[in-house]
Amino acid sequence: MSGASDGLIACLLLAGITGLLVVVTRDPCRQVYALAGNGLVLGLLFLALEAPDVALSEIAVGTAVTPFLFLATLAAIATDRAQR
Amino acid sequence: MTPRSRLVLLALAALILVPAIVRIALVLPGFGAPTALYGQTVNALLPDLRHVTNMVAAVNFDVRGIDTLGEEFMLLCAVTGATVLLRGARGERGNLRAGHISGRPVLARADATTLVCRIAASVTMLFGISVALHGMTTPGGGFQGGVIAASGLLLLYLGEGYAVWRALMRGPILALLEGGGALLFVLCAAGPLVAGRPALENVLPLGDLKDLYSGGLMVGVNAAVALAVAGGFGLLLLEFMEETRVPADDPAPEEAEP
Amino acid sequence: MSLLPWFVAAWLFAVGLYGIVTSRHCVHLIGCLTVCQSATYVLLLGLGFVRGAGPPVFYDHPPGMPAVDPVVQALVLTDIVVGAAVSALLLAIAIQVQRRRCTLDPQALRPLRPSKRTAE
Repeated sequence: MSGASDGLIACLLLAGITGLLVVVTRDPCRQVYALAGNGLVLGLLFLALEAPDVALSEIAVGTAVTPFLFLATLAAIATDRAQR
Repeated sequence: MTPRSRLVLLALAALILVPAIVRIALVLPGFGAPTALYGQTVNALLPDLRHVTNMVAAVNFDVRGIDTLGEEFMLLCAVTGATVLLRGARGERGNLRAGHISGRPVLARADATTLVCRIAASVTMLFGISVALHGMTTPGGGFQGGVIAASGLLLLYLGEGYAVWRALMRGPILALLEGGGALLFVLCAAGPLVAGRPALENVLPLGDLKDLYSGGLMVGVNAAVALAVAGGFGLLLLEFMEETRVPADDPAPEEAEP
Repeated sequence: MSLLPWFVAAWLFAVGLYGIVTSRHCVHLIGCLTVCQSATYVLLLGLGFVRGAGPPVFYDHPPGMPAVDPVVQALVLTDIVVGAAVSALLLAIAIQVQRRRCTLDPQALRPLRPSKRTAE
């Protein structure tokens, strides 16, 4: 098989599936978990593509910072709605 | 525009683009084939030219340093924009209390959480600084180290609670980190220019291969990026956390059941 | 399977775009935008991959060994971090939309209307 090992193919397909999960999860509170999972899977994919710097960056950003920003936004929105 | 017409437009765009994408995918060099000459040249020449072993950091901070300068200022603009939006609407008042939605229980923080988060936050921040410092030799660099250090700040909030965390995270210090990082980057770029050399030219002594100090001016650029990214993300964390607070004269949340 | 990365990138972009078009919540829309961004990362890193080569870090193995393309990795690296900051800006805009319009449904939001008062 030219160019790709089994692990790489599995990572690519898994990344496609988690991307679909992020979009299909319509409730934003649930989508945060899908985003964190997507970040982790993408980090593993980048590791399989021999890119350790990029994987480090993606795991730190995609599983820690981005879900937190989404959660804080949802909390602010819920607080604002409760006040009205 | 109704949702229906929006979907029709999307289908139309897909109809035009999908054959184009298939055609391009068939024409691209196969996955795994040797890549462009630029990358191969960087891999072959740069360990000798700059005495660094991390080629990605060398490309980011030296060979394509001007592009990274632009990205750095994109980061600065995005963080400034978010801060201006949020702080402008919220005002600069203090004495804020956690926003509370009636009917939701308010849980007390467990001692185990505080202990684990204190250990984990210290380790994470030290790890972030280490990753940033070793950017020239092993995978890492300013961008990764800055984000890891910022996520350590998050762990600190989780363990200590909002009051202590807010007293630790001073907005002016974070803004100083962020702006200072960007300024240091500009100084690294403009310094050689003042001396009559090209901008961002590596004018410092290059150091040894696999050493902590290697790459010359790259070390300064790396430090600038680490400071700016850590300060920028810290500011974002602070501003977004402040958004979840309400004025202190609101009714306080009920006590939690033990 | 030498076409799989290109098709996964195209699939991720199409799925993200579909999510943006049919979204009913602004925060969900921003998450779908993240998926679109990840499609470009997969494409760029797929372009740089060389079969049988190692990462472009020559600390453990000597500089002559075959390595993947470092330029695209540098692009994606800065893009990930700056993309997170831009997502934060978009989330700040979403918070302001909630404050002013009391709704977060992109399909219910209408463009701003000019003020009826005459300008001073």
